[in-house]
Amino acid sequence: MAEIKVKNLHKEFGVGDDRVVALENVNLDIEGHVFVSIVGPSGCGKSTLLNILSGIETASSGTVDITQDSHDANPGYVFQAARLLPWRSVMENLMFVQKERDDEARARCQRYLDMVQLGDKGDKFPGELSGGMQQRVGIARAFSIEPDVLFMDEPFSHLDAITARSLRRELHEMWKQTKKTVLFVTHDVGEAVELSNRILVFAKGGKLEDDITVDLPFPRDPSDDAVAVAKAQVLRKFEELDLLAT
Amino acid sequence: MTAAAMDSRPRVPFYRRPVAARILMPIAVIVVWYLVYWTLGSRIFEPPHRVFEFMWNELTLETRLRNGKGPSNLYQMFGLTVVRLFAGFAIAMVVGTVIGLAMGLSKSVNAFFHDWVMAVLAMPALVWALFLGLVFGPQGNQAPIYACILAGIPFVIINVREGVRNTPKELFDMARAFGVPQNKITRNVLLPSLMPFLFAAVRYAFSVGWKGLVIAEVFASDSGMGWAIKFWYDAHQTRGVIGYALFFVAFALALEKLLFEPLAEKAFKWRPRVGDVGVVEEQFLLDQTVEGALEVEQFTGGESDG
Repeated sequence: MAEIKVKNLHKEFGVGDDRVVALENVNLDIEGHVFVSIVGPSGCGKSTLLNILSGIETASSGTVDITQDSHDANPGYVFQAARLLPWRSVMENLMFVQKERDDEARARCQRYLDMVQLGDKGDKFPGELSGGMQQRVGIARAFSIEPDVLFMDEPFSHLDAITARSLRRELHEMWKQTKKTVLFVTHDVGEAVELSNRILVFAKGGKLEDDITVDLPFPRDPSDDAVAVAKAQVLRKFEELDLLAT
Repeated sequence: MTAAAMDSRPRVPFYRRPVAARILMPIAVIVVWYLVYWTLGSRIFEPPHRVFEFMWNELTLETRLRNGKGPSNLYQMFGLTVVRLFAGFAIAMVVGTVIGLAMGLSKSVNAFFHDWVMAVLAMPALVWALFLGLVFGPQGNQAPIYACILAGIPFVIINVREGVRNTPKELFDMARAFGVPQNKITRNVLLPSLMPFLFAAVRYAFSVGWKGLVIAEVFASDSGMGWAIKFWYDAHQTRGVIGYALFFVAFALALEKLLFEPLAEKAFKWRPRVGDVGVVEEQFLLDQTVEGALEVEQFTGGESDG
């Protein structure tokens, strides 16, 4: 079982008059098979938090502690744009992030490509795929290292509504089957309510303002009354915190 | 577009295809050439068949440029020039890549070299040829090789520097987030992202270095293709001047078709082809809006007159 502990996390960019606070004393404790969404307005430090957790950026102060079942495991990451190597085939893109280049790794990559319905596209280059397919490859890549923890940074925001919806369903299925701890950044409250057990609300200046538990059964249909009510509650919270204006 | 989708398009008749236009071009040139010859009626301006006859005699060693010591036929001249070209090109590539990498990585190194690179770029090849001729004298290989290096190296430096500046940060971040080791990142991210720029550097260094080299052979050497052109110029033989220039063009085209294009094809097969344009890496450069490369284009145009 994976656990993410964040204590007094603080991050600033720039110095003097240019100083910008991206995250202010964030404390978090996330454990087990949960899907946690991080919502908030642009520039509230959502992506910065993921970048620090994944090691792309370093914190100004505070500690981050990620415990996973296998000690040498690396968290998976799905980015806003797919970030595939354009000069490598789809299969090679998945193999690029594997620790070993053996048959076992290849079979595992193939299994996750099958899971995102791109099993027959392994030898294509990313440029030959549509935006939705590329994002699917990005998802398969993150799952293919079989991490306990998965970070996702607005992975569906570049896609059209229909593609995004079908990918959300696929993602939910994969999360259910693989029992991962997912940290999912989004600015779409509806998406957060549809997918998550917990929603963390961030405000401008990188403050964690609220931690909402969404206690509804899966799968959730956005047109369901209960889901619509939950979405309205989160939006009301946004209004209380004056986040909609920003 | 996939290959299957391209094959399903209706077939275009031969005369409307780009390949037909390509074949038409040399025919049009020869027709215009004859027209000018008949209109001028000059003994100095010779018709195509005389030039081709001259070229045939050179190829079959019917004629020789001089008796006695030293290189005297087409193959020897050509061999000398090609050896000089490859030597100058190799040095320009190695030194230029090192300086370009350093300029791309460090602002201080960039500030140190920038003005000098621009100065070398702005200097006409003719001036290098005259200067190197004075320094090294007309014997030996030094003046042509140095001219080739000086003409080509700024293009290598600028292209490599732009390549380093355009490395895809988001892909490096992705690799780091997945904990990929550095040597694997270098092989799979850094080098492939530099490839289009290195290819552009190779092409520029070759074509511009070649011009610098020949000008140096005209003014500062007693052998090579440039010297042969000068020889026929002094003899008032247009066929010799044009004939040797055409050998030259044939070599450049052969190099492009037999070496650069297949290499580019292999290295950039991941890029979807744009229409019938074979030079995919240049399209990539335009996508990346490399100002340096555009500057370079202009300078190439200016220098070919030198």
